[in-house]
Amino acid sequence: MAMTKDQTETLIALVTDTKEDTLDCDGCFELMAEFVEYRLSNHQVPEALRAVERHLEQCLCCQDEYRALLDGLRAIAASSGD
Amino acid sequence: MPSPVDPIGGMRVSTSPDETPVFSTDSDPWVRRLQSTESDIRDAALAELRSILIRGLTKPMSQRYGGSLQAEDVVQEALMKIRDSLHQFAGRSKFTTWAMTVATRVGISEMRRKHYQDVSIEAFQNDDATRIEIAVDESVDAERKIDRQIMIDKLQKMIDSVLTEKQRFAIRASLEGLPMEVIAEKCGSNRNSIYKLVHDAKVKLRRAFEQAGIAADDFAATFA
Repeated sequence: MAMTKDQTETLIALVTDTKEDTLDCDGCFELMAEFVEYRLSNHQVPEALRAVERHLEQCLCCQDEYRALLDGLRAIAASSGD
Repeated sequence: MPSPVDPIGGMRVSTSPDETPVFSTDSDPWVRRLQSTESDIRDAALAELRSILIRGLTKPMSQRYGGSLQAEDVVQEALMKIRDSLHQFAGRSKFTTWAMTVATRVGISEMRRKHYQDVSIEAFQNDDATRIEIAVDESVDAERKIDRQIMIDKLQKMIDSVLTEKQRFAIRASLEGLPMEVIAEKCGSNRNSIYKLVHDAKVKLRRAFEQAGIAADDFAATFA
């Protein structure tokens, strides 16, 4: 199963967008709860949590879990009448 | 440090004068209740947490992988994971935010596992998997055809020479849309290792692109 033109194009885009990432998925997970609270509160994310942002830009799995978490926390807040 | 607004309500982490969080896991009411030796207290906390998690998981799970699993299908596993991981709660966020973080990962992981359970990775493990195959467009002129073939040959040479066999496999599987943890599970590895394998592969290729003077738009321009 060879790579198609679209897949080759995707690969090039992924490669050229690759940035330094000091976290792995578990490291991102450990900081996620703290990070998402800053995002929900619209406060500026502190430097110590910037690594989470960088990892989320690179990792589609963690990015999807982060989006799901944001949605879920908003749903809980809405149902609590906050 | 601004104190994050809690979307759910409840206790905040106390801070010392130098803003260093002062926290012990046992000081959180949720943790105390979930670890209580009195079953009434413990069961009430579990029921309350279960209700919160279901409210939080319902919408995101219904929007992913065709809603193949519902919040109720994973909440028990999530509660078990939360109880087993209570010692890891460091009090840097609300307990319920942390619990939702755990539950979300459990829920989405289960959905991914189910969604890709019948997908085989064998096709991505042979040498042919990272061969670039683009049909020749007969409508373009000869010079353009040559430019395209030169571009393909350059990219192919980089992929073949820079990446290891494992990196080629992981890159190929991820290009097919397989999540890292699914790739990991199917080849007996773990999500962190596969993520690192793919990330290192991309960094190596990026350096090779830079050395060869290939920019992001070059491929698109050549094949426009």
